[in-house]
Amino acid sequence: MSRPANPNAMQPERPGRTRTAPPQLPPKFPFSGRYRAYTLFDWTGLIYLLLGFLALRVVWALGSGEPAWNHVIRDFEHPLYIAFHVLSLASLIFAGVRFFRFFPKSQLPRVGPVKPPPQPVILAGLYAAWIGVTVVFSLVLTGVLFQ
Amino acid sequence: MSERPKKKFIVTRFDPDTDDVPRTQEYEIPVEKDWKVLDALNFIKDEVDGTLSHRWSCRMAVCGSCGMMVDGEPKLTCKEPLSSYGDTVEVAPLSNFPVIRDLVVELEGFMDKFKSVKPWIVRAKRLAVEEGPMRQSPEELEEFKQFSMCINCMLCYAACPVVANEPDFIGPAAIALGHRYSLDSRDEGAAERNEIFRGEGTVFSCSFANECSEVCPKHVDPAAAVNQAKFAAVIDWATGLVLPRGGER
Repeated sequence: MSRPANPNAMQPERPGRTRTAPPQLPPKFPFSGRYRAYTLFDWTGLIYLLLGFLALRVVWALGSGEPAWNHVIRDFEHPLYIAFHVLSLASLIFAGVRFFRFFPKSQLPRVGPVKPPPQPVILAGLYAAWIGVTVVFSLVLTGVLFQ
Repeated sequence: MSERPKKKFIVTRFDPDTDDVPRTQEYEIPVEKDWKVLDALNFIKDEVDGTLSHRWSCRMAVCGSCGMMVDGEPKLTCKEPLSSYGDTVEVAPLSNFPVIRDLVVELEGFMDKFKSVKPWIVRAKRLAVEEGPMRQSPEELEEFKQFSMCINCMLCYAACPVVANEPDFIGPAAIALGHRYSLDSRDEGAAERNEIFRGEGTVFSCSFANECSEVCPKHVDPAAAVNQAKFAAVIDWATGLVLPRGGER
């Protein structure tokens, strides 16, 4: 048997006449089987939290003058920062792909008279938008656009 | 006649009169190659240990009675061929449900949650017989048909990590059924259900693990229903803000 679930999970409003054994969590939760991807998806939230703090630091340096900004840029060349950015990219791709996989089926069959496009079209649109935004950002950051 | 191969079953047992907590018991029985897991449980009950308790009825994956954890996965035991398991098969009651006895779980909590989403056609005014039947086109039927295939087997509740941790969560099957009626062209209760779905422990408690859809034996896709219901609840709330009289006709 796996570890116990919340003892009140699925309890009736009025207890029955028979004494019951407490419910158990699904045996494979949270680290094996299909739950692994779900748990991993949740853990990527921690990376986005750290990225948020990093963004605040960059914005703070931007407001503090050129020496502070250069200091931050130098820090980013440290292997730990590079590793963190690679990890962030991997988790962003993982979360994005998972979100895109589920998003089409969460569309209502109809909103008033308007029907959504077929699911493959929505999926293709999401990937096209993602790739498009990535290309534009890359061009801006490499100085090709808005130099 | 050749001797039938044997399989070992590790079955969770719980007698509320004598056991403090569930325990396991092993049975080694001869099996036929075309048996389902339920056939083996019935063999144990009939030939080996008459005290074993489990629910079953139709044996054709229609009634939804025989849902259990088989090797840690929620399954309809009448649908699962024994040949897809190894020499040892673990059978336990559905996760996330209190256990009444052996493999039998308490259903009342599920039924309480079920009723909360108004799973019936809501009409402001009943149609008189003279007005004829409420007609529905095949396209209108198609919008909700998938969600009406639910057999209430509760496998989705056993797989859902949110059900395990949030006792107030009304769960995938109940939301799928409520959403099914909201999508029904004959129904006028979508606004009432959206109000329910905007409350605590409903659609927004779902973190889209998608496990309910993975384990559904009837391919109902409750995760789609829950997340469509999120959209519907938000659209209903937003239109209520911007339209005159809250969008009521």
